[in-house]
Amino acid sequence: MTIEFSLSNRQRDTLAMVHQFAESVVRPQSLQWDRDHGVPHDFLRQIAMMAQSMGGGLVMGPGRSSGDEKEPSADEKKRRQPALSTVLGAEAMAWGDAGLLLCLPGAGLGGPPVRASGTPEQKKRFLSVFDDMSGELRWGAYALTEPGAGSDVAGIRTSCRKDGRHWVLNGRKCFITNGARASWNVVFATVDPALGRAGHRAFVVEKGTPGFSVGKIEDKMGLRASETAELVLEDCRVPEDNLLGGEDGYRTKEGFMTAMKTFDTTRPMVAAMALGIGRAAYEHAVAFVKEHYMLARSVPRYAAIAERLARVGRQLEGARMTTWRAAWLADQGQRNAKEASMCKAMAGGAAIRACIEAIEICGAEGSIAGDGRLLEKWFRDIKVYDIFEGTGQIQRIVIAKRLLPDLKSF
Amino acid sequence: MIAFEPSEEQKMVRDAVAQFADRTLRPRMREFERARALPPDVVAAAHAMGLPLAAFPEAVGGSGLGFVTQVLIEEELAAGDPAAAFALGGPGAYGWAALLLGGPDVAKELLAPFAGEAGASRVGAVAWGEPRAAQGRAGLATVAEKTASGWRLTGEKRYVLDAARAQSFIVFAQVDPAEGWRGVGAFVVPADARGLRVTARHETLGLDAASFGGVALDGVEVPAGARLPFGSESPNVVWLFATQALLVAARGVGLARAAFETTRAYAEQRKAFGKPIGHFQAVAFTLADRATDLEAARAMVWRAAWDWDQLAKSEGGKPDARQALLHTAWAVSYAHEAAMRAGDDAVQLHGGSGFMRDYPVEKWMRDAKQLGLCGMTAEHADQLAAAVALDKDLDPGLVLPSAETQSAFL
Repeated sequence: MTIEFSLSNRQRDTLAMVHQFAESVVRPQSLQWDRDHGVPHDFLRQIAMMAQSMGGGLVMGPGRSSGDEKEPSADEKKRRQPALSTVLGAEAMAWGDAGLLLCLPGAGLGGPPVRASGTPEQKKRFLSVFDDMSGELRWGAYALTEPGAGSDVAGIRTSCRKDGRHWVLNGRKCFITNGARASWNVVFATVDPALGRAGHRAFVVEKGTPGFSVGKIEDKMGLRASETAELVLEDCRVPEDNLLGGEDGYRTKEGFMTAMKTFDTTRPMVAAMALGIGRAAYEHAVAFVKEHYMLARSVPRYAAIAERLARVGRQLEGARMTTWRAAWLADQGQRNAKEASMCKAMAGGAAIRACIEAIEICGAEGSIAGDGRLLEKWFRDIKVYDIFEGTGQIQRIVIAKRLLPDLKSF
Repeated sequence: MIAFEPSEEQKMVRDAVAQFADRTLRPRMREFERARALPPDVVAAAHAMGLPLAAFPEAVGGSGLGFVTQVLIEEELAAGDPAAAFALGGPGAYGWAALLLGGPDVAKELLAPFAGEAGASRVGAVAWGEPRAAQGRAGLATVAEKTASGWRLTGEKRYVLDAARAQSFIVFAQVDPAEGWRGVGAFVVPADARGLRVTARHETLGLDAASFGGVALDGVEVPAGARLPFGSESPNVVWLFATQALLVAARGVGLARAAFETTRAYAEQRKAFGKPIGHFQAVAFTLADRATDLEAARAMVWRAAWDWDQLAKSEGGKPDARQALLHTAWAVSYAHEAAMRAGDDAVQLHGGSGFMRDYPVEKWMRDAKQLGLCGMTAEHADQLAAAVALDKDLDPGLVLPSAETQSAFL
């Protein structure tokens, strides 16, 4: 082992390609997608094919499909660095458009829990639906949040009870990315709220299941190309085979741990997406200053702007290094819950600062939407990165619990 | 590859230094502070471990371990006692100035006296800073006038680390007043040169075991060969400050770690309102933020150090040093501020006890502020980062510490 910061040839080549694609194809359309509340399916299909031909990985992130895909061996992971490649790709894609990244077909955030906790039969059954999307596009989704339980994951109220060979689910899920279009949602429910985490169960609820319906589609501040849905479960009858991991998986606190394990993979990826948006804003501000300001003249304001740019740049770089390290730990097969929360908290905060400062630096011009003027969009897109996948405050709770072993709750 | 694990060789070096720091530096930290120096046995032990020459290339008499290894060493030393890292003597910035401004042959000659047992007590120093800006022109106020046989140096130098201990100096002086900040040359001047007077050692806020002072040059005559081939017309002076500041940043990481770890332990043990103070969110979140700072600062320092090692390896087809400068500038200001936050919060969370010298944290807080004024200030690093990002000329008057902007100890 060593300390080094060079990309593998494969990482470098793929990144260069993604960057070029993001710049010349994605960015020119991103504002339109934002206004249209979606990306045309033809375009998504094109990307899905492209990603498949490239072997997934960089573009599709952990949401990449194939139920047949073997979990790579520990050595394979160390060599190919799937988590690290994913964060590199996520930053590059989000630099183009984060909304698009969330729209990409595939298992999405539903993939990690199925992969982490599903039985071999479940993995094959639920992940293989993404193998061939040449005809119909398909999505997976992750349904945890409820109107009354956001950060307080343990407080979910959606109920489940066994009835013969089925489970009957009742409740509401909200803010579910791709939840309405998903072929299946991983839905978290509880056998008894009084049991806390031990009562949690995770189900793969397929589209068309009796009692499952889509409620409101949200109208959001940003990421408007991405669909955010409310899901309604009314006496929803889910076959017992869809209980993620089977009954045996719940002798312990496993249900809740499924939700948490997922975050160790997805938080660095979400952090990387935030960095993509933050870097876009930072680079935009740098280019603006270069083009518009007469830097040769000594205007006091320029020194302040230089300082601001540097501060934004270094916060992003610090978050990027933390993100890389969290992903690297995952590829090494080492625990990374603390680091995953660190990078998520830092990247969300740094990228928001980047967007705020960039608009400030560009002045009135920075707030105008139009061709090649995406700063106001990035400002709208970024805010939720300090909220979803755990707010900045929740990340600090996770970190603190790992720093202070005796700390169980506040 | 991107990787965050030291090599076996680096681990051995790091562990050895960590043991030295833990057994020798930390327990005697207050003793060094009161004595305002490291005792000879400590200096000799560090010398015997090869620390002062570790990073220098083998071609000039160093161990060739490079910057990445050096930043690992600096972090460990500073985690023992930040002041010790500044007080070990050896060639330090003098050696790097010899290499960067003199080239390998000059460096080999100037570094020779530091090798072997006799070299243990040898100290080099760089005299750059000045009490006042030059009047009526840009550049240094200290001047070098050509004489028949060499140069005559006149002026007053300040903010010199080890001024009172050095046997030899590299003194910067204005060679061509018309050239402003591009007209500065570097001269090797022995401490016993006629007309050189070491001015009174300063009493400083922190890092008391280190020695901060200055020299007065009253028509000091040096031979023509005393002038190093490169001066401020080359980018190497900026490189010198950047690399030295990076080593200081690594010490900042060590200081932040010491302050954080001590405070983390205190927060577990100190009780208020019936529970450990760490179990209150206001305290736990502060710890989480400082832990994240530490993680980010360390990785940023590693990456910048890796850049310099790559640069050193690639003689001939030199890659752009601007990348190394940018990563260094970001790492320096981030680490300086992270160290200051760590010191500040350490005292804060210790409450009234933190203010007392019975506890180590007040020292770390003072040391942190002092450390941020060494090599390069965060402000200069920000100017440097912005200048690189904006593709501006690296004007030494803007990006280097000086009486015209803000002074720093080197």
